[in-house]
Parts: sequence; C-alpha cells; structure tokens
Amino acid sequence: MTDSSVTSTAKSARGPESPWRSSLRQLWRNRPAIIGFFVFLVVVAVCLCAPLYAHYVAHENPFTSNIQGTFRLHGRTIHVLQQNTQGTGLGVTPIGPTWDFSHYFLGADNQGRDVFARLLYGGRTSLLIGTSSALICCAVAAVLGVVAGYFGGPIDWVLSRIFDIIWAFPIYLLAISLSVVLLTTGIQFGPIHVGAGSLLVPILIIASIYVPYVARPLRGIVISLREREFIQSAIGSGASDTRILLKEILPNVAPSIIVFLPLMVAFNLLTESALSFLSIGVQPPAASWGTIINDGLGLLYTRPAVAIAPGIMIAITAISLNILGDGARDAFDPKAKLRGSV
Amino acid sequence: MGLFIVRRFVAAVLVMFAISVLVFLIFFATPGVDPAARIAGRSATPQILAQVRHAFGLDRPLPIRYLLMMDHLFIKQDLSSYVNIGDRVVPQILNAAPVTLSLIFGAAVIWLLVGIAGGVVAAANRGKIIDPIITFLGIGAISVPAYWLGEVVLYFTQSKLHSSVFSWAPGSGYVPLTQNPGEWALHLLFPWLTLASLYAGIYARVLRAELVNALNEDYVRTARAKGLSERRILMRHALRCSLITVVTLFGLDVGALVGGAALLTEVVFGLPGVGLLTFNALENLDLPVIMGAVLYGAFFVVLANAVVDIAYAFLDPRVRLV
Amino acid sequence: MTRSQIRVWIRTLAAACVVGSLGLTVVSSSGASPSAFTYNPAHAGGTLKLLASTAGGTLDPQVNYTLQYWQLYQATYDGLVAFDKVAGASSFNVVPDLATAMPKITNGGKTYTFTLRKGIKFSNGKTVTVNDVKASFQRLFKVSNPNAGSWYNSIVGGNACLAKPATCTLAGGVVVNAATNQVVFHLVAPDAEFLDQLAVPFGSILPASSPAKDAGSTPLPGTGAYTFSKYDPNHQLTMVRNKYFHVWSAAAQPKGYPNEIDMVFGNTVESEVTQVENGQGDWVFDPLPSDRLSQLSTKYSSQLHVNPLTAIWYMVMNTNLAPFNNLKARQALNYAINKNSAVALYGGTQLAQPACTILPPGFPGHLDYCLYQKGTGSTYKGPNLAKAKQLVQQSGTKGMSVGVVVTNDTVNQAVGQYVQSVLNSIGYKATVKPLSANIQFTYIQNTKNKVQISLSQWYQDYPAASDFLKILLSCAQFHPGSDNSINIAGYCNHSLDAKMNAAETLGLTNPTAANKAWGQIDEDMMAQGAPWVPLFNPKLIDFVSHRVGNYQFSRQFYMYVDQLWVK
Repeated sequence: MTDSSVTSTAKSARGPESPWRSSLRQLWRNRPAIIGFFVFLVVVAVCLCAPLYAHYVAHENPFTSNIQGTFRLHGRTIHVLQQNTQGTGLGVTPIGPTWDFSHYFLGADNQGRDVFARLLYGGRTSLLIGTSSALICCAVAAVLGVVAGYFGGPIDWVLSRIFDIIWAFPIYLLAISLSVVLLTTGIQFGPIHVGAGSLLVPILIIASIYVPYVARPLRGIVISLREREFIQSAIGSGASDTRILLKEILPNVAPSIIVFLPLMVAFNLLTESALSFLSIGVQPPAASWGTIINDGLGLLYTRPAVAIAPGIMIAITAISLNILGDGARDAFDPKAKLRGSV
Repeated sequence: MGLFIVRRFVAAVLVMFAISVLVFLIFFATPGVDPAARIAGRSATPQILAQVRHAFGLDRPLPIRYLLMMDHLFIKQDLSSYVNIGDRVVPQILNAAPVTLSLIFGAAVIWLLVGIAGGVVAAANRGKIIDPIITFLGIGAISVPAYWLGEVVLYFTQSKLHSSVFSWAPGSGYVPLTQNPGEWALHLLFPWLTLASLYAGIYARVLRAELVNALNEDYVRTARAKGLSERRILMRHALRCSLITVVTLFGLDVGALVGGAALLTEVVFGLPGVGLLTFNALENLDLPVIMGAVLYGAFFVVLANAVVDIAYAFLDPRVRLV
Repeated sequence: MTRSQIRVWIRTLAAACVVGSLGLTVVSSSGASPSAFTYNPAHAGGTLKLLASTAGGTLDPQVNYTLQYWQLYQATYDGLVAFDKVAGASSFNVVPDLATAMPKITNGGKTYTFTLRKGIKFSNGKTVTVNDVKASFQRLFKVSNPNAGSWYNSIVGGNACLAKPATCTLAGGVVVNAATNQVVFHLVAPDAEFLDQLAVPFGSILPASSPAKDAGSTPLPGTGAYTFSKYDPNHQLTMVRNKYFHVWSAAAQPKGYPNEIDMVFGNTVESEVTQVENGQGDWVFDPLPSDRLSQLSTKYSSQLHVNPLTAIWYMVMNTNLAPFNNLKARQALNYAINKNSAVALYGGTQLAQPACTILPPGFPGHLDYCLYQKGTGSTYKGPNLAKAKQLVQQSGTKGMSVGVVVTNDTVNQAVGQYVQSVLNSIGYKATVKPLSANIQFTYIQNTKNKVQISLSQWYQDYPAASDFLKILLSCAQFHPGSDNSINIAGYCNHSLDAKMNAAETLGLTNPTAANKAWGQIDEDMMAQGAPWVPLFNPKLIDFVSHRVGNYQFSRQFYMYVDQLWVK
C-alpha cells in the first residue's frame, strides 16, 4: 500500500477533511509565508494607527502647511524650513530626518509637514487602492483569460482584441483628460457623482489597464491545458463546459493567479504614483505613498529620505505579499495534493 | 499559417481604428484643450483666433476632423504637429524609433537573462535560503518607481561619484549605432541596466512559480523515475512549458515598450526616443503627434501578441495555431 | 509666469527705472551715440552649448512668442529699431538698427519717417531693400501674428488686413520710396508704444520672398550677426555666424564671440544642471529646480548670476463668482496670506521679495504702499490672521468651497497647497486643482470653467504702466466665455477705467504727472477692488559653466547669448 492510502485511511476514520482546511494547515506550517503574513499585518496596523500617532505622539496636523513653523530639538528651537545662508544664499531646505519619534522622524517636506506622519496616513490610502485594484484586476482577468483560452474561436478573437486595445491605450492621455473633466464638473453615473478626489477613479483605471497583463498569460496556460489528456477525457465523457471550467481548469490556473496578485499590488502602487502626479486620485493635501514619492522627487538632491521612505514601504508590502503568495501557492496547488504530500 | 496572418492583420487594423477614435474623442472632450488658443498665442484677438481655427480645420464638425486627420496621416502622409508647425509626424516617429529599439533591445537581453536565471535558480533551490533572497531582490527592484531609479543612477554616475568611480560614464544623450558602436553602447549602458531592473524581478517570480508547477507534473515524475538528473529535468522538460507565461509577458512588455512605455527612462536619460516624443506631445497637447505615436504603438502591440501566439505552438506542440 | 510658461506665452520684458518716462522709450535723438559693448577679439571662437528641456515651437520670429527664442532672435534678426544691447538700465532704450537714425515723428505723433541703411545683407546674400520692410509688415497679418489685432492694427490699413490677410497691402499705412530709401508709417492715432512694438522680434525685417505662412521649423534668413542653420525640435537648434554680416551699429547688433551656438533639447532640468556642473554644457534655460539651489549657491556661486525682474506672481480671484465676488472675502485673503511663506516656497529671500502692489518696484508709476498687512507703512511686515477671519465672518461667505487652480510643476503646486492651507484656516473648504501648464493658462481665463481663484504670473512687455494695469484689469480686456480673456479677475470698474484712459493721454505730454496718476490708480485698485493677492516679485538666476565668461544681462531679453566667451 502506498503512503497516500495509509493517510487517507487514517483520515477517513475521522471523516473527510475539507481541502480548504488542509491547505490552510499546510500554509500555517510554511515559515517564510507566515513571516510575510505578519509583516504585512504589521504594516497595515501601523498605518491604521496614523491618527493616533499624529495626535498623541507628534502633536501635529500633517495636512496643513507649516512653512514658518518651528519646534524644539535637543533644547534648541529649529525652523522647519531653513533658508540657506552659505555662498549666494539661495534656496530653502526642509529639515532632514531627526530620528526622534516625537517629531519629524523622517524630516519635513517642502510644505513643512511631518513626512513620517504622512507616510502612515498615506499607507491607508495606498493599501486601499493597491489591494482593491489588484483584486479587481485579477478577478476580471481570470474570468476573461480563462474564457478566452478555453472557448477559443470568435470569443477568443474578440476578447484578445479587447486586450490589445486596453494594452495599447494611451493611459496618460486619458488621465490628463479625466483630471481636467473631474476638476471642472465631475462625472455623473446615475446617482453616483464622481469628483476629483474620488478614489474609485484610480482604482478602476489601474485595475483595467493591467487586465491584459494577467489575462493573457492565463489564457496561454488554459490554451495549453485544454489539449491535455484529462481535459480531453472530461470533454469526451460529456462533462459540461461550466463543470470543466470550475472543476478542472480553474484549480489548475489558481496557483498562477495567486502568484500574480501580489505582483499586481506592487505595480498598482507605483501606477498610483504616476496618476497622482497627473491629479487623478489622491488630491493634496491628502497623502498616499505615491504623492509622497512625487513630493520627494523635487527634494531628491537635498532630502532623499522623502522619496526613499515610501519606496521602501511599497517594497516591504510587495515582498511580504509575494512570499505569502508563494506559500499560498504551494498550499493550494492541486497537483501537490494529489500526491498527499504535506 | 496564411489564414493566421490575414486574421492578425485585420485585427491590427481594427485595433488601430478603435484606438484612433478613442484618442480623438478623449482629446476633444477635454475642456480647455482647444488647440486654437494655444497655437494662436497669448492675447490673440477673436479675429486671429478664428483665422487660426480655420487654418487648422478646427471649425469643422468632429467626424470630418477625424477623417481629415486620417487622410493626412495615411493617404497624403503629411500630418504635421500643432506645436512645431510644418514638422511631419511620421518622420519624427521614424527618427525616434531606433533610439527606443536600441534601448529595449539591450534591456530585454539583460532582463531575460537575469530573470530566467533567477527563476531557474529559485525553483531549483526552493525552500533553501536563496529562494526568498531572489524574491526579495526581484520584488524590491520592481517596487521602485522608474523615474526615481533613473534619477538616482544619474545622481551617482554624473554627480556624486562622477569624478571618482564613474568618471568614464558619458553624459546624457544618444549616439547612433551607425555613428559609433562603442559610444552607442556606453551611452546606453545605464539606461539598459535601469530599465532591465524594472522587469527582471517579475520574470524571475513568474518563471519560478511556473517551474514549481511543472516540477509537480506527472511527466516530471516519470522522468525522475527514469533516473534523469534534477538539472536535466529542469532545463529540458520543465522549462519548456513554463516559458509560456514568460513569453506571453515578454510579448506584452516589448509590445508596450516599443510603443513608448519606456518614456520615463527616456526622459530621465535624455534619449530622444518614441517615449520622449510622446511625453512632450502630451505636455503640449499636440494631438497629431499623440495620434501618430499611439497608432504606432498599437500596431506593435498587436504584432507582438501575434508573435507570442506563434511561439506557443513551438513551446507546446499540442497547441494549434489559432 | 514661470519661465516654462514664458516659453509658450512670453512678451518682451523691459524694466524702466532711470529713464522712467511712460510713453517715450526713446533715448534723446539729439545725436549722442547709444552705449555699446567693446569687442575683444581675443575671446572669439568656440561653440557655446545651451541646454533647454524642450524646443520653443516655431522658429518664425513673426509668430514665436516665447522668451526662449526671443533671446536668440537678438543675434539673428533686426528691426528698423532695436533695444540697446548693453547691460543695465540702458538696455531698454530703443536705438536705431536697420534705420539710420531714430524716426522723425510728425503729424501729432501719427507719422514716423525712417531712412533705411544701405548695404546690409540677409544671410542668403540678398541686400535689404525698402520692399523687404514693407513686405515684412504685410506678412505680420498674413501669418496671423498674435498681436496683429492689438498692436499692429494701429497702422493705417491694418484693420483691413485683419479682415482679409491674404490680400494685405497696408497701402497708406506703410509707404516706401526706393529712390530715397525712406520708410514712412502712418498711424491711425498717436501710439506711445509704437517704437517698442517695432523693436521686439515681431518687427524683424525679413526677405520679401519669405513664405506667407508660419515658417515653422524652417529658418528664415535674417540680418543678424548669426543665422539659424539647422532646427530639429526634438534634438537641437544650431546658430552659426552670418557670413554676410558686418557691424553697422554695435549698440544695435554687436559682433558675437562664439563661432557656433547650439541649443540642445531633450534633457530633464536636473540633468541639465548636472551637465553644466560637469562642464558638459554651458547654460540652463529652464528654471532651476529648488533642491539644487543650496548646492549651487555653495559650491558654484561664482557661476551663478541673480538679476531682478519686473514681474509678479499673484493670486487672481474671480470677482464675478462666489465667494470672491464679495470684496470683504478678497480683502480677507489679502490679510491672511503670508507673502514671506510664498517667497520661501519660491526659493528664499535672495530669489524673491514680497509684493504689495500691482506695479513692480523700479517700474514707471510704481508707488510704495502696502495695504493688507499686520503693521502699517509700505514695507510688508506679515499677515494679519485675526483681521482676515473677522472679514470672512462679516462677508457671510464662511464655509464655502473654494478650488485653487494652479499648474502642476513643483513651485506652483507648492504655492497652491499653501494657499489652500490658508483658506482652510480662515474658514473655507479649499481644494487644490493642479493642471498641466499648457492647459491651465487658457483654462483660468475662460469664465465657462468657473474658476474661483488661480495662481498666475505676469512679465512685462515694456515700461508702460498701462501694459500692466490696463491689460490685466480694465473692462475691455474681459471677454466672458473666451479662452483669451486676460483680465482673469473679470474686474470691471468704470471709474478706474476712465482714470486709466486719462493717465494714458496725459502720458503723451507729461510723463511725470502720468506716472503719479498710475501709482494712484494702483493703490485705488487694491483698496477699492483688491482683485488680486500680489505675492512676490521674482528674480532670475542664470547658471553658467566654469569656462564661460563675460556674462552680460539685458533687462529686455536677459542674458546676451552671443556675448558669452567660451575661449
């Protein structure tokens, strides 16, 4: 008797365990994945604490300009924005990182606002935009990609052309145009009024532009799968398309979707930065990691921390989600289960 | 195969038509974008405005304007910019294309090599320490904004360490291949590395996942049972089918890059490619150039995807050309 | 405007202080020769490399309205008269160029008689004749010059040309005599600014054979010391010495030093600054990024040149739309904004000074006063937030939503965010609306877009207060529903309009009294209407490379490109 039959006999004594539970148990045992998961939780928790930090620790409002502001550090009163006094005396520079949690931990931006406090507030917005657009993108792409790959023929042709149009579409032109339209009048969708600051706009735009990037690889996988013996036999035995799609194709495509999801989170966070530069999405003085990066680009030669910090946050979020994703992929892989491997 | 080519050609025409209509509509639906006032100049009187509007055909109805533009672009082939009067759009794009192609070619070679190597090493050593390290480096690299990375590279090579470590680094700009291959490569070295680092991580990740997938397949078990070495299995059996996703992504990325998606890298490094051209056209709201560049890009997107679909047939012999 | 906007929109700049007269920009034509540079042949030669991030549009001097190319046209084209090419205050004086002397002005100021110099050749070898002069003025209408309808229609026959440009003859307006080499202009009415309008590049004399449409990227032959040899807007603009040039008046068109001048496009401003630091380029055209300023002023201070500009950055409020249709609300914002903060955002006290008045300091008609501030007197001492909040309360506009429209470059956005913060602190609900520079300027002028408040800049044409007050704040310059309505505030005060007309007429006979009147109009405007919040008067920084010498600055067109030494 093989190993699998021993385990399955033992299991059947307790009754069949749901495949979800066994996958989750396997995931729990995957050390790096759990570390990734907790790192992500920490990032989320810290960002959610932004109002507490701003109010109780830093005692500032990170959304009002503070150009003439001062504060005390090591017993001295320091100006937040400092006039250069050397040479020809040109230029005004915000203070750099103080490495003091009670104020200006990472320094100030060019409006004199606390960068660290804005980083935390910004995290809330960025994580919302990044994760929701990634989820929407992968869900839509999965459906369209699988349908295109499985049915082939004219359905595939039409869907592939839609992917081509989306992929070749000049998103920056749309963003510029949309920003002016939203600034002027906003858009009305029945009862929903979409104004310039609405987060729906960047979420939907970012989700749509990456649909081809996920859908086409999935379509390719499905095209290859379709010719495989187990699919052919399922078709031959008269199974309906829906059954095949749900029971055979989707589980084999799921691991790839799981791999794409955290990758998309990283891309989406960066695309949000480009869009907010064009005034789509987060409006000043609200913060997101993207807007802080934009602010930081204007301070790159004097205060590089302002541009580096959000980049590090994006990287941490993306890396932790990717490692979690690896573990999830391994845990939910149907092929691994067939061998009863743990 | 012939039918395939015909079908894809029709597809290209359709996609380009759809995009041209969308670009046109979006442009003119934007308030405040009327080119006449900007072309005529500040404080132009209403009379002057009307003259300029008429000269550019902006007083005709929308569909007529669209047909006129397509006529100038494809039939008369003299479509000119709104900003640089008399400058034809098509020659501008054709002059810029080799720069972009040079940039993409070098970067693609680097990112494919690094990405595929990374993915293979990660999959072969999964569970060991090198696996998450590769993920770490790869994802870290793609989490960095392109513009920022370029500026930082320039900061170190041109500013901070220019007199010491990087004194050999040339200034910004492009030297044509036909003029001086050595300088061509030297000027493109840092742009290549910058652009490649933005993509290598994805390929490593995706390939690793597909390889791990493939290594769980039955045919791999069979190969193992037959006694083949793990390395041989990986390279000769698992890799082939795993490359499908990589090839798909490569087609999408190259398709987009040729059309100008590398614009931030080109802007930072001062390379006069299609991306920079598009960037300037967007800044100036120069509709003819935007239209030309977008259609050029759309064509390559369809072409790249067609090539990828052909590649599927090579990688997986069971797939029929569709 | 920012210099990046100047690229697109600019008019000439003039700063008057010493001469101070309103209408007469003419140095006394009593025969005293105008000052000029002395030429030093030891430094001739070499190639000068200028850096600009993008090209400046068409190269046609009768169409191009950008400072970027007006700075180059000084060396490539000539008009009948020109601005004196020296440094300092004299640089706004008008001196004879292709004309032998300043014109005889007769007929109550309606007739200008010039004599054309003999023996001057275009860069294509052809000699300049009076027919070329006549054809050049006809061409202004044929190519739809932006100011054909506001400046050059003062010439008799101009209005007919506006209606039918293709058949423009200007018969009766420009009369030439080939035998005597005379050119006579007949104006519809006396115009104190006519000579200035001939001296700017729009008044360049071009060959009669020039095409009757915008020449675009094809260089037109000129009479200057240099000529454009090649122009690719995506790469580079090249100027070389005009081999047919000889010096006829060093004050009007001096000999230049570099053998070749290149303007290279396509780099980011950060990269341009680095290139000049490394000696890979010689000068940056674009405004310097603020994060390089401290490093530059510390390490490269000998290569930096700071010069004052008669220009202003200001918040313009729509006086026909709530909440700023209420005078108290406008005054409240004037009290609330800290001009020193705006200065800090621009780059500090060395780069700008707070402005309380509409006319900049050192300008004819400028009156020193400062109404809306913490203290009294004519120096700005700071904001008065308490008064501001009180005024908002009294105005009944508290709690209204306000959108601040700015361009999306770093400094403009920063000022916009600051103003938003201030508006929020005095009781409004403010948002910032950044737009691309190419859209914003026409967008804020068009009343259909319902812009409540926006940030704008204004650089002068020539030293005429009317060019500031009348252009920007008179009823006639307000065109509702049009993209070109330069009275962005939409402010229309008929009694002040009447005073402006009176001051203009007075300026033809008694400039000193007229200046006093303009100063009073300035103060009345801010007291009665307060349509703006003046922020600051900026200065210009030029950053040149180590090898460059002989930096000379004209108040008119800024740095003299052809006078730089590269050897």
